[in-house]
Amino acid sequence: MHRVAARFLVPFQPSRAAEARRQWAGTALVVAAVAALASGACGKKEEAAAPAGSPPAKRYRFAVMPKALNLPVFTYARVGAERAAKQLGNVDVIWRAPEDADPLKQKEILESFITQGVDGIAISCTSADLLNDPINKAVDAGIPVVTWDSDAPRSKRLAFWGVDDFKSGQIMGEEAAKLTGGKGKVALMTSLGAENLARRLDGVKESLKKHPDMKVVETYDIKEDPTRSAEIIATGMSRYPDLAVWISVGGWPVFVRNALDPIDPAKTKFVCFDTVPPAPDLLRSGKVQVLIGQKYFGWGSEPVKLLAGIKEGRMPQQKVIDSGVDVVTKDNVDAYLEQWKRWEKGEE
Amino acid sequence: MNARLKSLWKTRELSTLFVLALEVAFFTWYLWPEAGRSHPFFNLGNLVLILKYSALYGIAAIGAAMVIISGGVDLAPGAVMALAGVVTGHIFVIQGHPLSVGVASGIVAGLLCGIVSALLVVAVKLPPFIATLGVMGIARGIAFIITEGRFFDLSSRLPAGWKPFGLPADWLAPIVLVVLAAVFQYLMQRFQWGRAIFAIGGNETAALFSGIRVGRVKASVYIVAAVLASLSGVILVVIQGQGRADLATGYELDIIASSVVGGASLTGGRGSVVGAVLGTLIFGVLRNALPQIPGATFYDRLIVGVVVVVIVVVDQFIARKGA
Repeated sequence: MHRVAARFLVPFQPSRAAEARRQWAGTALVVAAVAALASGACGKKEEAAAPAGSPPAKRYRFAVMPKALNLPVFTYARVGAERAAKQLGNVDVIWRAPEDADPLKQKEILESFITQGVDGIAISCTSADLLNDPINKAVDAGIPVVTWDSDAPRSKRLAFWGVDDFKSGQIMGEEAAKLTGGKGKVALMTSLGAENLARRLDGVKESLKKHPDMKVVETYDIKEDPTRSAEIIATGMSRYPDLAVWISVGGWPVFVRNALDPIDPAKTKFVCFDTVPPAPDLLRSGKVQVLIGQKYFGWGSEPVKLLAGIKEGRMPQQKVIDSGVDVVTKDNVDAYLEQWKRWEKGEE
Repeated sequence: MNARLKSLWKTRELSTLFVLALEVAFFTWYLWPEAGRSHPFFNLGNLVLILKYSALYGIAAIGAAMVIISGGVDLAPGAVMALAGVVTGHIFVIQGHPLSVGVASGIVAGLLCGIVSALLVVAVKLPPFIATLGVMGIARGIAFIITEGRFFDLSSRLPAGWKPFGLPADWLAPIVLVVLAAVFQYLMQRFQWGRAIFAIGGNETAALFSGIRVGRVKASVYIVAAVLASLSGVILVVIQGQGRADLATGYELDIIASSVVGGASLTGGRGSVVGAVLGTLIFGVLRNALPQIPGATFYDRLIVGVVVVVIVVVDQFIARKGA
């Protein structure tokens, strides 16, 4: 055997026993800390799960999954889901998602809900086709799955509850045409990968076809990141100072207060999806002209009610349930905000 | 036999294994189901699930642990995973070559990343943190250039119910992980190359004077780490069926944390491959079990952070006391 091989093949005797022995003492401490934390964090929930008096019906555990925990729009869905669970009385909601919209992490959590055997899953899909497999697996295993906000239409999910994205995209395109008199440069903003956003974008493009003088100069992918949308708007405005209108098929630019600062509203209009705060303030200050509102609270409550119904043997009438949208402009923003307050308090 | 058993008992990895066992025992107890339900955590399907996802971190963590033992740090594995996955997707889906060619190309992409890291660290003498930070940006950047924000749908070209080597696809990553962990643990403990890595991490000057070819060994460590990361990325896109440039974003820190929890010291010279793999399992169990607890959603980041800090603090405390 020649030298190089010989050098590598010299065996060694490990002698790290002494160091290793010392590790043992600490391990118990670590586990104690984990245990203390976990029970501290979750102890109160266990009490809530215990049935009060005689159990009225079988208790159900439904996993409700938004795309991510860091998108403020989903907090209203959580309010809705928990309210519906309370009204139903025999439902516990597990509200869970990755912190940011990471399709793979969402898949991992979804798969873990299946192996854990929850009683139902309501999910807003970050990446539709990636989730077809686990959704089908869940349905095959007898766990009903409904989608909300963002559908997975090629999966076996039992129902979808949310806006008709194509239609709402068309509405956005029409509103943009009204604002600009049907001409000028258009910049689109989206996140690639999500089915609902793609369909909204198709709707926008479809309606813009009717206005040949409106030209789409750029389609930006902002990856579900509000901070990135601010950056894109700033660079977009310096690249196209004569832009007539922005159309954002998601609410990222209006989730933060200063993303729209580089825009001169006299020259460039902004049509944006979503109406959650602080978006109405931006509407009032004139930075945005049209907002398209979804049924945010319904995102949580309706899928939970659907799942509870399925559990009791009532299958949804249609596969795709259109929630409708609210078109909010300067003229009706005050009435809309009044309504919002009622929603937040749990009134219809 | 008795002596061997005794030396096994004393190895550092066993305390990590012990933490893992206690963790599993805790969640098995805490998540004990009400009558008539199957156990949500302690079941075979869930075990495979934990292994499958942990393995994606674990394969890369083997390399990361070796880099850390050599006294360096590698920030690139997440980006290298994404690049390797995207290259595999491009060759397989867009160019229509066989999967084996795609996989090989993905690993070659990882190899090139490793060579760049190694050159920057060894020849240019950049601090590993900066060198691999640069490679991280370059790898992620190339991945985005290749995909242009789209994704490559590998699942459309793989047959439904595809079984690599006759095994369920979910088992692929865990099997690769176990084999690689065993091989590299053996190399690190029983071979001169492995001992040289420990020596360099412990005291580079002393290693140099004792005749170790420091530059070569260090370069090999970065290259091996990048190849392992690319292997993990290739497996990721094959079993997930999607090649995307934003895959595995931020995984580098989870991978480094796993190595450290598994006993690696960021100052070098200490650690183990098997420890790093067990570290990824500790995180894998947390990622799997915490979602099963209603109301824990906003606590799990805190819990994971505290676990890292406590394990490492205790580790250091014991090391200092023993010294």
